[in-house]
Amino acid sequence: MAVFRWGHSWSDAFSDLEREVDSILQSVNQTFQGLRFGRQYPPINLYDLDDHYLITAEIAGVSTEDLDLAIANGVLTVRGGRTLDEGADENRYRRQERPHGTWQRSITLPERVSEDGLKADLTNGILRIVLPKAQAETPRQIPVTGG
Amino acid sequence: MSNELTRQNLDAQSGSNESRTARETPSHPVDRYVFTPPIDIHETDDGLILRADLPGVSLDTLELQVQNNRLTLFGRVPQVAPEGARLVHQEYHEGDYLRSFILSDNVDHDRISARLTNGVLEVFLPHTPKAQPRKIQVSGS
Repeated sequence: MAVFRWGHSWSDAFSDLEREVDSILQSVNQTFQGLRFGRQYPPINLYDLDDHYLITAEIAGVSTEDLDLAIANGVLTVRGGRTLDEGADENRYRRQERPHGTWQRSITLPERVSEDGLKADLTNGILRIVLPKAQAETPRQIPVTGG
Repeated sequence: MSNELTRQNLDAQSGSNESRTARETPSHPVDRYVFTPPIDIHETDDGLILRADLPGVSLDTLELQVQNNRLTLFGRVPQVAPEGARLVHQEYHEGDYLRSFILSDNVDHDRISARLTNGVLEVFLPHTPKAQPRKIQVSGS
């Protein structure tokens, strides 16, 4: 199922429902809430700025060493993960709500994005990926020969 | 990066659960959500360690307070995208984080310490030192 559709926006009714579900989830135990609904983890937001796109994702606790970004054939793949505190005895957890483990997310990039100019930043648990838009190509005249 | 954040004052915090930013304008209403962040609590020999996921929260926007045996954390998340950015696809909402906990009696409030790393808050809640037995001299007539 194509989860990430370029330029797709949810209808109002659906976003209301989504918001409601979100707020219910907030009060219930959270374990990779995205996966439960068949959504991919981590959830992302996409912004259009005049000369570039911005993708953001909330991935608290992931360090830059545990994050891997790759781009090939117009698909951006983000891999990451985190572990629970090493050395902590599993039996001594009184509460365990924070998701852990590894994840991978692939995002199909739109056309006219300059892959070489891609930049990523991870600060305070928020991943920002900047995708510069490629310059529009000037139309090329094709000579037509005829007999 | 670590920093001590013990027992700061939190007077500015309002009790309401839903709030909106002051930058709201009629054409661009800015919804602010307040989320309950997921936490882990585990025991160590010296006390409890509490961890909370607060992506987007920095030292400047985090407030941590102990009052009347209640530990309250409030983390504000600044808007990620610059002004003028058009949101074209949304899978999550930005919002602030608020959660409070009742501390047990054996937590030493004066020695609570905390640090914030990669959007994860770690609070150490040490046990109060056990009182040493004291001999009471009994005098008789």
